[in-house]
Amino acid sequence: MIGSIILTLALAFSIISMIMYFLNYRGYKNTLNYGRIAYHGMAVLVISASVYLWYAILTHQYQYNYIYSYSNNDLRNLGVFQLASSFWGGQEGSFMLWLLMTAIVGVILQSYTSKRGDLEPRVMAVFTLATSFLLVMVSPWFKNPFEYIWVHPVFVKIEHINSQFFNLPFIQQFFFTDQSTNQGFIQVNKELAGLLSQAGVSLNDFITDGRGLNPQLLNFWMQIHPPILFAGFSMATVPFAFAIAAMMKNDYKDWVRQAFPWMLAGMGVLGLGIMLGGYWAYEMLGWGGYWAWDPVENSSLIPWLVGVAAIHTLLVQKRSQAQGGIGKYAKTNLLLSVMTYVFVLYSTFLTRSGVLGDASVHSFVDPGMIVYLFLVLFIGTFTLLGLGMIAFRWKTLNENIRDDESILSRELALFTAMIVLIASAIIVLAGTSAPLFGTSVDTAFYNEMHLPLAIIIMFLNGISLLIKWQRSDLNELIKKSTYSAAGAVLFTIMLVIFGGVREIMIIILSLTTSFALFVNLDIAIKIVKGNLKMLGAYVAHIGIALFILGVIGSAVYSKEVTVDLVKGKPASAFGYEMTFTGYNLIANNTKYAFNINVKKGNSQYNIAPIMYRSDFNNSIVREPAILTLLTKDIYFAPLGYDEGGQSQTQHSHNHISLEKGGSTEFEGAKITFTKFNLGAETMQAMSEGKDFQMGAVLEIEKDGKKVEIELLRKQTSGKVEFTSFESKEMNLKIELENLSAGNIDLALTPLDGSETENASVQTTTAEILSVSASIKPFVNLVWAGVAIMVIGFFIAMTRRLKESKIIS
Amino acid sequence: MKNKYIFGGIIIAVFLVLMGYLFTQSNIEYVDDFNKVMSTEKSVKATGSWVKEKNYQIDNQNKTFSFMMSDHNGNQMKVIYEGSIPNNFESATSVVVTGKYQNGYFHAKDILTKCPSKYEEQTANSSL
Repeated sequence: MIGSIILTLALAFSIISMIMYFLNYRGYKNTLNYGRIAYHGMAVLVISASVYLWYAILTHQYQYNYIYSYSNNDLRNLGVFQLASSFWGGQEGSFMLWLLMTAIVGVILQSYTSKRGDLEPRVMAVFTLATSFLLVMVSPWFKNPFEYIWVHPVFVKIEHINSQFFNLPFIQQFFFTDQSTNQGFIQVNKELAGLLSQAGVSLNDFITDGRGLNPQLLNFWMQIHPPILFAGFSMATVPFAFAIAAMMKNDYKDWVRQAFPWMLAGMGVLGLGIMLGGYWAYEMLGWGGYWAWDPVENSSLIPWLVGVAAIHTLLVQKRSQAQGGIGKYAKTNLLLSVMTYVFVLYSTFLTRSGVLGDASVHSFVDPGMIVYLFLVLFIGTFTLLGLGMIAFRWKTLNENIRDDESILSRELALFTAMIVLIASAIIVLAGTSAPLFGTSVDTAFYNEMHLPLAIIIMFLNGISLLIKWQRSDLNELIKKSTYSAAGAVLFTIMLVIFGGVREIMIIILSLTTSFALFVNLDIAIKIVKGNLKMLGAYVAHIGIALFILGVIGSAVYSKEVTVDLVKGKPASAFGYEMTFTGYNLIANNTKYAFNINVKKGNSQYNIAPIMYRSDFNNSIVREPAILTLLTKDIYFAPLGYDEGGQSQTQHSHNHISLEKGGSTEFEGAKITFTKFNLGAETMQAMSEGKDFQMGAVLEIEKDGKKVEIELLRKQTSGKVEFTSFESKEMNLKIELENLSAGNIDLALTPLDGSETENASVQTTTAEILSVSASIKPFVNLVWAGVAIMVIGFFIAMTRRLKESKIIS
Repeated sequence: MKNKYIFGGIIIAVFLVLMGYLFTQSNIEYVDDFNKVMSTEKSVKATGSWVKEKNYQIDNQNKTFSFMMSDHNGNQMKVIYEGSIPNNFESATSVVVTGKYQNGYFHAKDILTKCPSKYEEQTANSSL
C-alpha cells in the first residue's frame, strides 16, 4: 500500500512540476521555484519507492505479486546484490528502474539547465512530461510493482505456503494440482485474502517463499546490464527535451552546444549497456555468439545508431555556427534528436507490448490491452510533439549559410557518415518491425546489408579525419594518407596470406577498417603529445575499428564442431586434444560440472561446462565454458550427457479430460466429476515431500443406476500411481491418468474392447558428453573495441561539457 | 549544399533498393496452418505446439532432435532439428520452427520456444 501511495504522490508532483515549469516559460515569473520543488519532491519520492521496493525484496515480502513472481529466499545465498537485482527481473520492476534512472538524470539536468540562461523551464517542462508518463506506467492502474498478490488470482506452490495454516477450515477450496509436475497449488485471490485476514493471518506469514528468477539471469551481468541500459535510455530523453526547448523559443543557436555533452554521454552509456547484454548472451546462453539480431537486442541498437548519427551532424552545426546563423543541418539535428528518444520508446513498445510474441526469445509477454494502448499513447504523444514542433517551425529554420564547401570537406564526410548510420538504423528497424506485418527476415538480411555499410563507415572513419573543414587539397590529402594506406594494404595482405581471408567483401572491409585504425592511431599519437582533451573522437574511432576487426575474426572465421567425448578417451579438434574426465557436483549439489582437459603442446587447461535441471522452468539449463586465450576463445557449449541405459514407455488410450463439475457420455454411461477429496493432512504431507494420496469423486449413471466411486492418485516414495474402476455390469473401465489444477484426465475403455499398450523400449549407450566446441579468433577485440569506444565518448563529453558553459 | 543532396540521395536510394531486394529474398512468413507449411517450397516459420503424448527423440548418432508438432487445427507434422534439444523445451507452451518441409519432414534450422509466462499461467488456470 505504502509503495503505491508514494508512486501516486510522485505522479502528482511530476504533473505539478510540469505545469509550473510550463507556466514559467509562458511568463509567470514566480512559478519557477514551485517547479523545482515539485521536481525534487518527485525525485525523492521515486527514490523512496525504489528503496522501499528493495527493502521489501530483501525482507522477502511475498504479499506483493511482483516479489513473489521474481524473487525467492534462495537468491540470498547468491549474495545480497543478486537478491537486489530481482528488482528488475520482471516488467513492472524494469519500468521502475527506468523511472528511477530518469528521475536521477533529471536532478542532474535541472542543475545543468539552471546554470545556462533561461533553459531550465522549457527543458524541464518537456522532461517532466516523460517522467509523468513513466509514473503512470508504474501507477496502480498499470504495471505497479507494489500490487498485492491477491489482486489478480495467483497460484502459489504448496511448498511456498506456511504449513501451520493447512488446518484452516477454508483452505481446501483454494487447493489445486497441476498435471505434468505433480505440483500442488493454493490459489491466492481476493476471497482467500479476506478469509485470512478475518482469521488474523498476515499474507507475509502465509506465503514463505517466492518463484525466483530464471536461472539464466542469475549472474553478475544481470546485476549491471539492465541499470546501465536503462541509464542510457533515460539519458536519451535529454537531447529530445533540448530540441523541443529550442523550438519552443525558436532559437537554435545554443541548444546544439548544450545538448552535445548529453548526447555523447547518453550514447556512451547506451553503447556500454548494449555491449554488456551481448557479453551476457555470449557467456550464459551458450549458442556461441554475442549478437543474434534478436528484436530485443535490435530495438536498443536502433536509438543508439540514430543518436550516434546525430553526434556527427551536431558537430557540423556547432562548427558552422561560427559563421553566424543557426548553422548547417539544423533541421536534421532536431529530427535526429527527437527520433533518438522516439526509438527508445518504440523499442519499449516492441518488447513490452507483446506484439513480438512469436519472434523473440526474451521479449516480455502480452501485458494486456490497456497497457498496450497506453504504450501506443506514450509513443504517439512524443512522436507528435517532436515531429509536430519541427513541422510548425519548418519555415523559420533557414540555415542561411554560404555553400562553399567542396566535395573534399569534412562537413560532407560527416553528413555522409550520418546518412550511412541512418541507413543502418533503417535496415535494423525494417527487419525488427517485420513481425508486426506477419513476416520476418533471416539474420542473413542484416549481415548482408551491413557488410557494404561497414565498408563505407570504416572508409569515412579514416578519411574524414584527414579532410579539413570547408575544403582540402587533394594532393595534401594523398600525402597525409600515404602511410596509413600503405599500412592498411600491408596488414590486409598479411591477413590474406596468413589469416586465410579469401572473400572479396571481407578483404575490402579489412582494408578500410585497418586504414581507419591507422589514421586514427597516427592522429591520436600526435595528440597525446599535444592537447589531450581533443582525443575523444579518435579514441572512439579506434574502438569501433578494433570492434569491426574483432567481428571479422570471431563471426566470419569462427569454426564449430560437435564432438562426442567418451569418458577418458581423448578427442581432438582445432589441434587441441580434449578429454572428458568425469563430472562433479557443484553449487550445493544442484549443478553438474563436466570437467574437460584441453591440451596443446605443453599448455594444459581445465574447463567445465555446466548442466543442471532447474526447478524454475523444469528444464535442463546448459552453461558454456570459455577458454580465453590472447588471440582467441575456445568455446564449449554442452549439448547432452549420456550415462547409460534409457527406457521409454508409451501409452495409447481413449482419453478424456473433465473439469470439476463437468460430465461426459461414454457408451451410454454418464460420468460426472463431482469433487476432489483431500484434507489438511494431504497438503501437509505434500509440502513436506512425504507420501500422500488424493481422490477424485465420480458419479456414474447408466440405465437408471447411479454409483459413486472414488479414484485415487497415490504417491509412494516419489512414485505416482493411479487407481482404476471396473464394472462388468456397465461394461466400463475407468482409469485415472492425471489429477491436475481443477480437472482430471481419465482413460475410458469398454471391457469387451481391446486395449493397447506399447512395450517399453530399452537402449544402452556409453558414457558420453556431447559438446559443441568452437573457436572464436580475436573475439577479445569485440569487447576491447566497444570499451575503448565508450571511453572515447566520455573523453569527448568532458571537452564538450566545458564548451557548453559559454553563453552566446 | 548541392553536394549534400547528391551524396545523401544516392546512398539512400541505393540502400533502399538493395534493402527492398534482400528483404523479399530473405523474408520468412509466419504460418500457423500446417497444410500450408507442407504445400509450400519456401522457408517458413511454422507456429504450433509440441505433441507431448508422442514424446521427443534424440538421435545421438546423427545429432538430431525430433518431435511431433501440431497446429491449432490439430494437423500434425514431424519436425527434425539438427542440434540439441533447446533449453526450456519441455516446459514450452508454443514452439516456432524455422525451415522447410521436405520428404515428409519439417527440417528446422531454428527452434524458438515460448515458455509459460506467469501471466499466461494465471489466466489459463483462473479460467478453469
